[in-house]
Amino acid sequence: MATSSQNQQPTGLYVYGILPGDIELTSGISGVGDPPSEVRVVRAGDLAALVSEVDMSRPLGSPADLAAHKEILDASVADAPVLPMRFGAVLTSEDAVAHELLEEHRDELADALEELDGLAEYVVKGRYVERAILNEVLSENKVAARLRDQIRGVDNDATREARIQLGEIINNAITEKREQDTRALGKAMAETCEASLVRDPTHERDAVHVAFLVRVGQEKGIERVVKDLRAKWEGRVELRLLGPMAAYDFVGATEPGG
Amino acid sequence: MTTATQSGGGISPGPSPTGLADVIDTILDKGLVIDAYVRVSLVGIELLTVDARVVIASVDTYLRFAEAVNRLDISQEKEGLPGLVGGMQESGAKHKTKGALEAAGEKLRDFAGDGAERRAASRRGSREY
Repeated sequence: MATSSQNQQPTGLYVYGILPGDIELTSGISGVGDPPSEVRVVRAGDLAALVSEVDMSRPLGSPADLAAHKEILDASVADAPVLPMRFGAVLTSEDAVAHELLEEHRDELADALEELDGLAEYVVKGRYVERAILNEVLSENKVAARLRDQIRGVDNDATREARIQLGEIINNAITEKREQDTRALGKAMAETCEASLVRDPTHERDAVHVAFLVRVGQEKGIERVVKDLRAKWEGRVELRLLGPMAAYDFVGATEPGG
Repeated sequence: MTTATQSGGGISPGPSPTGLADVIDTILDKGLVIDAYVRVSLVGIELLTVDARVVIASVDTYLRFAEAVNRLDISQEKEGLPGLVGGMQESGAKHKTKGALEAAGEKLRDFAGDGAERRAASRRGSREY
């Protein structure tokens, strides 16, 4: 509502996320778009939205855009609860942000913010080391070991069926191991996290991919769990800890009555 | 206010650097969706998402696993230089598939390193910890 100059550029307001109304923004933060505009705050009552202007005629989605969206939200998570929007939310005007977004959904947004107060998300991502996991499966599965002997040194075309069968056994075995290891991770993390959500695997050798909601100040706890698992799975799983970040996995769709 | 500086993550038990694939996994299909908003068309991410997000077990997957088992045998049989041959093949292949993502990730990291220094939003009347 600041300066509503009547320019005809097709601009919209990109929305990053929703925070409590009493947040203060550092100036000079660049948002999405090329060239990016400065991130600012639109307030309505006890809620605030982080927004920046975008040119509606140009598509978004460059690596810089994706990074900016995530950085801007993740940077505030230590100081204030944040409801992250999914990438690509654009509203027509400041008025629309204040009324259609913040005021119309005020109660559910405020409730969600309260629930997330003092919490941050971490993601634990692990991938099986190819050599180690294949050897593990071959040593545990007699059929797989026999199939391996069968295809060894034989022309590919002649052993297609056997190779498909072997691959399927390995794939199923890895799926089973993924479930086991995901359970083990969940158990190890149970004391440290407030909530967890298993993400879909993004790679056929994914070992674990889980999001955790952790109380701010408990970072050491989650780091210790990951460190211990890393030692336990040394040479078998490459484990990474990502975060702290906004609670992307723990905000649902807010369709009324849904 | 005592806010642990998590930005670097250089030491192993700490958080790992975030690559583009990690960002994509997080912000493209997670987060708040409110029916009121207009989605801007997204381009330039298709190629990057293929490697990062799609896991569908198929005959191709199975054949790939079988091929990996074959490689395993070759390198294990060659005594004298065990692991080395296989290891190099493996890391070579890894580089190939991850190349595009890693390259994009480098750029990202520069950006991210930059951004992590600036706190986007802080609360008025800062809380004591």
